[in-house]
Amino acid sequence: MTASALTRPGQRDRLSEKAAEIDWRLSALLLAIAFLGTAMLYSTAGQHWTPWAARHLVVFGVCFGMMLVLSLVNLRVWFIAAYPAYAVGLILLAAVSLVGHSAMGAQRWLHVGPIGVQPSEVMKVGLVLALARFYHGVSAKDARLSWKLLIPLAMIGVPTLLVAHQPDLGTAILLVATGAAVMFVAGLTWRILALGAIAGAFAIPPFVLFVLKDYQRDRVLTFLSPEKDPSGAGYHILQAKTALGSGGFLGKGFGLGSQSHLNFLPEKQTDFIFASFAEEFGFLGCFFLLALYAGVVAVSLRIASISHSHFGRLSAAGLTATFALYILINGAMVMGMAPVVGVPMPLMSYGGTVMVTVMVGFGLIQAVKVHRYAEITSGRGSLL
Amino acid sequence: MSLEPSIFFDEVNQRQGVFHRRTFILGGLGGIGALALTGRLLQLQVVEAQKYTSLSSSNQFNFRLRTPPRGRILDRNGIEIASNRPDLRLLMRRDEAPDVEGTLSLLATLVPIPPAKQAQLAKELANGPRSIPVAVATDLTWEEFARVSARSPELPGVIPDVGDARVYPYGGAFAHVIGYVSRVSADDLKKVGPHPEPLLLHPGFRIGKQGIEKALDADLRGKAGAQKVEVDSVGRVIKSDPAGDIASTPGKDVVLTLDADVQNRALEVFGSDSGAAVMMDVRTGEILCLASAPSFDANRFVTGVPSADYRMLAEYDHKPLLDKALSGTYPPGSTFKTMVALTALENGFDPKRTYTCNGVFPFGNHVFHCDKHHGTLDLHGAIVTSCDVYFYNAALFCGPDKIAEVARRFGLGQIFDIGISGQKKGLVPDTAWKKRAFKNNPANQKWFAGETPSMGIGQGYTNINALQSCVMVSRLANGNKALLPRLIRSVGGVLQPSGADVPDLPVNKEHLAFVRKAMADVVVSGTAATTAKLGLDPIVMAGKTGTAQAHTYKDGKGAHGAVGAWALRDHAWFVAFAPADDPRYAISVIVEHGGFGGDAAAPKAREIMRVALLKDPEVRARIEHAMPTDALKSSDAPIDGAAPDLPTQIGPGPALPPPTPLPETDQ
Repeated sequence: MTASALTRPGQRDRLSEKAAEIDWRLSALLLAIAFLGTAMLYSTAGQHWTPWAARHLVVFGVCFGMMLVLSLVNLRVWFIAAYPAYAVGLILLAAVSLVGHSAMGAQRWLHVGPIGVQPSEVMKVGLVLALARFYHGVSAKDARLSWKLLIPLAMIGVPTLLVAHQPDLGTAILLVATGAAVMFVAGLTWRILALGAIAGAFAIPPFVLFVLKDYQRDRVLTFLSPEKDPSGAGYHILQAKTALGSGGFLGKGFGLGSQSHLNFLPEKQTDFIFASFAEEFGFLGCFFLLALYAGVVAVSLRIASISHSHFGRLSAAGLTATFALYILINGAMVMGMAPVVGVPMPLMSYGGTVMVTVMVGFGLIQAVKVHRYAEITSGRGSLL
Repeated sequence: MSLEPSIFFDEVNQRQGVFHRRTFILGGLGGIGALALTGRLLQLQVVEAQKYTSLSSSNQFNFRLRTPPRGRILDRNGIEIASNRPDLRLLMRRDEAPDVEGTLSLLATLVPIPPAKQAQLAKELANGPRSIPVAVATDLTWEEFARVSARSPELPGVIPDVGDARVYPYGGAFAHVIGYVSRVSADDLKKVGPHPEPLLLHPGFRIGKQGIEKALDADLRGKAGAQKVEVDSVGRVIKSDPAGDIASTPGKDVVLTLDADVQNRALEVFGSDSGAAVMMDVRTGEILCLASAPSFDANRFVTGVPSADYRMLAEYDHKPLLDKALSGTYPPGSTFKTMVALTALENGFDPKRTYTCNGVFPFGNHVFHCDKHHGTLDLHGAIVTSCDVYFYNAALFCGPDKIAEVARRFGLGQIFDIGISGQKKGLVPDTAWKKRAFKNNPANQKWFAGETPSMGIGQGYTNINALQSCVMVSRLANGNKALLPRLIRSVGGVLQPSGADVPDLPVNKEHLAFVRKAMADVVVSGTAATTAKLGLDPIVMAGKTGTAQAHTYKDGKGAHGAVGAWALRDHAWFVAFAPADDPRYAISVIVEHGGFGGDAAAPKAREIMRVALLKDPEVRARIEHAMPTDALKSSDAPIDGAAPDLPTQIGPGPALPPPTPLPETDQ
């Protein structure tokens, strides 16, 4: 028997004791957001449980249960699973670019029997785990600046390129940003960060002009001046802004969002659910919702910082960063501050895949909390 | 518990310290992001809320233009000569139709739209302004209309619309006067400037193209209304909002002075002949008839005339598209002799003066001719028999300037403001005119003596239109006033100025009476004795025939009378007024290339005049009073042994007076 997860004297590694350690604040915040999402989907469907609200609730329920189960999984198991998960994600990503099912002009889905898998989602968790696993065995000095950092760079770069090739710009941005966040909290020197930021800024214009597909370029250009073609590519942005703005301070009221009910709002149940919410609940509602999300991020970062293992710290922080990026990117997109890149609002938007990813992430964060005292060997090369 | 620290503790603490600092910064970055979002929300939802609220409601509501009913055009008795009929049609808006071609092909399964038309409509929709509908089908049956309406949820952007279509119940009878409406053309749009009112772009809207429809288009048009409907993003109407509808203002009704019966009769009597007939009320100047024949069906222009049909109309030598009453000018021929006679009398010519006609009139090195050998005549006889030789002399007595002066006093060579355009001025020549007209040809500027005899019989340069001719005879008949023709009685209930509110006619009354008496005798014993008798005793007509040379006879081509090639024959004129003793109506009839005025024009004038007279209660009372009622009364007493006669059926048609009511008899 290795060391107990709960290494305080007198505490036994019992399920009931572990369960008591699950962070109830985090769980409550997640529940609150998911219920708001369900309510919005109910309203958007014209006050009907079908087709979205009921399924959203069921999927969330299942994922919430999964999160609770995952919180009890020993952090060492997560540690062991880190590289294999990353490897599986990478293989699936490679596979999807060969035989993947194409939807909306992008190859994202891989069908294994009846189950459709989006490898990029596996990779979102896999990358964070693998990076945390890597940095767990790296000294502070090396994490600052050394040739070893080429390894995490490659770990981020390879899946990013595969995802961008699909093409799924939103996920690619998410992967790069998450990876950068993990490298940052692991202690990467400021010089490299500054250099990367500058290089990135210079790389954007040629990237937009030469690398992006036509529709992606259109989205970016449309973002820059949406009023040019209000019924074409600028339609989504303009309609979303109209929905948001017409909500006003107090909103139009639950079930009274004309923009979404009359279908002026595109993708109202997925990427633009926040606009529907904003239309019906106004600035006050939005502020409350953002506060809930901020609470989730704050609690998660707190969990990350109390973990005794570097793996736990980094994985929790990395997944929190992913979650926060989802919110910021989606929010900015809906509010016309960023191009439309297809990033949903976690827990609010309808769609099982993202829900699973996010809740697996929170399962890990909960596991870090539950197993915060767990000792994990550096295991240079060795799995145990 | 086995601790196997592979890393030194200080290392661990260092890593932890860096992590805590960096996580704090990361959280801070997240906080900044959240603040940015909140700021943006404040901007959109609080600062700019008003702007987006109005954008949102304009998203929700569409205003669909409602065309106003066009004002009707009525005759003097309130009979509709231009009105509207319901038109069941389908309009389509591009901004409400996500899939134009798909919708059109589905629509084609419900109502007949040929594939070629579909393609054309799709193009029209794609090129036109997005919110302006295009008419995809018109004049549907109720069945077709209902079929489409029932399936409208599957046909986004298709708007079933019950609109008005212009209809002219008398077809061609009024086509030249009231004109017609037609689709708004690019030229029409150019005229109104860069931002036409939306009504002009509506597919159901028709704009006046000619005649009254054009001249009074602004009054007839009315103001567009709008129907407020709530739609979703693909244009499906969720609900209508009648409270938000804006009612359209119908166009004003226009009442004309025309009489539909008279006008219709005029077109009837012309048959396939070409020409014009104008009738005026000699007391008020009101035009009762302004007909041009042959005509065309104005209704066809409302929906659009196929180009082949239009070419046929345009190329026909009888020129149906031309308004001959206003824009056809012809030499007045012998009808002008009334003017010459008046001029002579006004200048001291003795009406008893005689000239002898033996068919020719040598003058200078030219020989003028006359139809017949009229023998010795005075002025009265010369008018009655229309002797040219007499009027060659009379004209030479007067000189061109005096004749022209009188002719102009009677309205010849003038344009009248009757509310519609298209009048041709014609010409009453004099020496001053010649000087002006031949500036570039000084040799011709002089008035040649030989031109005066021609003018005396209404030939030469003299050219008038039928309206002027009618004004002339109206003023002759009225005797006091320089009457002005008047076509529009009221617009939207507002009366237009009367044609009798004019200065006096500065002509000696006795001279006028002399000419009128002579004209009365034209019908009794003169050139129209056999063709212009009304048969409405005691009402008789007075008139003057005219046979105007349309083509030179020299090369043997032209023909006097109704012989030879149509286009080379003489024009036939007849001007008249009735009743001869107390004039009420004046008429002028021109039959293009009709031959002799007495044969071709006088019978037409007679028939048209009969209708007007029989509709006039005063005239009618005189006719009915003249009937031998005493004789009828005697049949009161039944004769023994003989069956009483059945009441005589008089008729048919309104052209004859109805029988005086017979006293009741026991049968």
